[in-house]
Amino acid sequence: MKMMQDKGWKGVWVFGDYRNYFQNRVTLQLISKGKELAAQLGTEVTVLVLGSQVHPYAMEYTAHGADAVMVVDHPSLENYQVETYVRIVSQLVESFKPEIFLAGATAFGREFFPRLAKRLNTGLSADCVALEIDAETGFLIQSTPAFGGELLADILTPKHRPQMATVHPGVFEERSHDPQATARMVYPEVDIHAEERVQLIRSKPDQSPKGGLEEAELVLVGGKGLGSKENFHMLFELARLLGGEVGATRPVILSGWTEESRLLGQTGKSVKPKVLITAGTSGAVQYTTGIQGAETVIAINRDPHAPIFKMADLGLVGDAKTVLSLLLEKLRKRL
Amino acid sequence: MKFRESLVSAHHNYLVNQMLSPGFLLGDLNSKEDFWFLADIVPAGMNEPNIHGRIFDHHGHFVLEMGFNKITENPEGCVIEPLAGGFQIRHAGGEPLLRVHTVVFANGYLTRIQGKLYDPEGKTRVEPLLDGIQVFGKGTLALTRRQLFL
Amino acid sequence: MNIVVCIKQVPDAPNIRVDRERMTIIRDGVESIINPLDRVALEAALDLRQKEGGTVCVLTMGPSRSEEALREAMAAGADQAILLTDPHFAGADTLATSRVIGRAISRMDPFPDLILCGRQTIDSDTGHVGPQLAEELDVPQVCGVTEIHLDGNALVVKQVSDGFQNTYRVTFPALLTVSQGLHIPRHIALGALEQAFSSARVQRWGLRELKLQPEEVGFSGSATTVLRLHRPPQKRKGEVVSGSSQTLTERLIAKLVSLSILDEDDAG
Repeated sequence: MKMMQDKGWKGVWVFGDYRNYFQNRVTLQLISKGKELAAQLGTEVTVLVLGSQVHPYAMEYTAHGADAVMVVDHPSLENYQVETYVRIVSQLVESFKPEIFLAGATAFGREFFPRLAKRLNTGLSADCVALEIDAETGFLIQSTPAFGGELLADILTPKHRPQMATVHPGVFEERSHDPQATARMVYPEVDIHAEERVQLIRSKPDQSPKGGLEEAELVLVGGKGLGSKENFHMLFELARLLGGEVGATRPVILSGWTEESRLLGQTGKSVKPKVLITAGTSGAVQYTTGIQGAETVIAINRDPHAPIFKMADLGLVGDAKTVLSLLLEKLRKRL
Repeated sequence: MKFRESLVSAHHNYLVNQMLSPGFLLGDLNSKEDFWFLADIVPAGMNEPNIHGRIFDHHGHFVLEMGFNKITENPEGCVIEPLAGGFQIRHAGGEPLLRVHTVVFANGYLTRIQGKLYDPEGKTRVEPLLDGIQVFGKGTLALTRRQLFL
Repeated sequence: MNIVVCIKQVPDAPNIRVDRERMTIIRDGVESIINPLDRVALEAALDLRQKEGGTVCVLTMGPSRSEEALREAMAAGADQAILLTDPHFAGADTLATSRVIGRAISRMDPFPDLILCGRQTIDSDTGHVGPQLAEELDVPQVCGVTEIHLDGNALVVKQVSDGFQNTYRVTFPALLTVSQGLHIPRHIALGALEQAFSSARVQRWGLRELKLQPEEVGFSGSATTVLRLHRPPQKRKGEVVSGSSQTLTERLIAKLVSLSILDEDDAG
């Protein structure tokens, strides 16, 4: 069965992306899924943590299920740096030979993991929404949206190792914190040459209004089907009246109707509100992965065959702009 | 590639030899004559480190014995004083002997120890290393079971 | 300053329709466009050329008809265009693609000071080619830049990443991938477009020119393969309602009341 194990590649690794920890929980989600995969392969999950003074994260990852934590702790690693991390991590991978290596598809993950995969001359799939072990071959089946989001592609990395994948935050569920947990700690003696051709001059929290999208109980999303920037902006007043936040699809961002921090989906945010109203959006998988966690989805679209209706608990076939203006009129009178 | 290994607890760890460890023991804790030092495992539900040991100075003279963070034998008149987040032991003359400090973050605790401790032959067994300690001689660097109970 | 802009010709995504029985794209009547973020990269390159002088070369790997995209780029102002095309290049994942494009750029004399691409494409959307190309060429990278300035013999760039706004100083040569917030593409004057399609020369390089082996490129040179395509799992089987806008709005309000978003009294 397990061809590649004959060549000595064993173990499931997870890259410890701890920036913005507490909000950013993707590493915990990957530990949880990693344990499932590892159980099927008869191996364990190791979380790789690079940085300076990273002990708290090693302990958190232990509490959330890591079997082992591999730490490279050094003052020069304080900031995430692509080239230095690639240099160090590629050496670790070549020494310890994990069969699978996962990272969250955070902005850093999406910048660092491809370069690492190229350094290691191996395959990488992006923004996976599902991961399974193939029962016959033991290969990792990596599912990502394809063809503009209409279908899912199951991808394999048959001959190269490790099998690498970035995973969209919010797809998997973390395990709860267990203070009784223990894990192995591994401190590899790796060369640290932090020579960077990219120097960080300044870093400050991003000022652009996040709108608290990820915490909101109600999210109103507008797509290109709303017709214009003015129509899209109705959503802001509705959000204010109903007590919610506004999100957008990529075509809306590309048209400059609102700022990128409101983008939902594959390359944007994932939300899990109680109620989500999605207006004038067709329902490409690249968008819907960002909203699949919503408890109740209400969709408004002119096209009765729009894929979004398969994603909705209630679908209204009609002109989104008109329906929303009528709603706004009624609410203005009452609230 | 060479690597060092330890254990880590989700709840509480000490920093020793620049590694996390749930608890470590130097020497034999039953010895009445020799140096020994125990930073014991802290179970979930408790949040204070448990420090015990028999400590000597650089001439090999016996200084003190301690258990559960308290001095139990004190021929030299050392003084123990509380600190925010821990405690400190000083020689009668005022020089610091041992400092124990615990930080809490999120759901876990990390204890850093600082001090320079010797055995009856005057050999260094514990000394400061960055913000923690380096230890020498026989011992178990990552305990799996709690050693001493009240 | 010599700049290379990597572009990709992609199907105009919102108009893609999929034949769900045969799991293939229906290509009839689907336009091909330059990937939107690559247009932003091209605009950034032209802007830098205007300020600093130099040349802008556009490059793409694709089938023969990708030449249209290069001509469009030249009409916007690029000086030079190269089409990397060969039957062997087909079926490439980003590992193989970055190898081909990297080899092409390595052939350039002088080696470019700056390589620009859009951060991701609207069709495959991995965002991998930029970083993998930077690795192939052994140059530093910054992804998703929103501002580019020249400062002496280095670049100063801004990026928004994981909730932080970062400013970096990068030495030449470097690769940058650009994000939406950078520039809005200029409209191509119609005359320029006609001229680009008739007179401008597009170089074509294939396996031979790049001195690559068949097993290094395309499907053979890839590490990942597609096992199968399937429909995303559908979890909700909601009801779909049609009617007048009035009816739909009433239905919407009723639903919001049932979800306690609105009180009975708020509902008109």
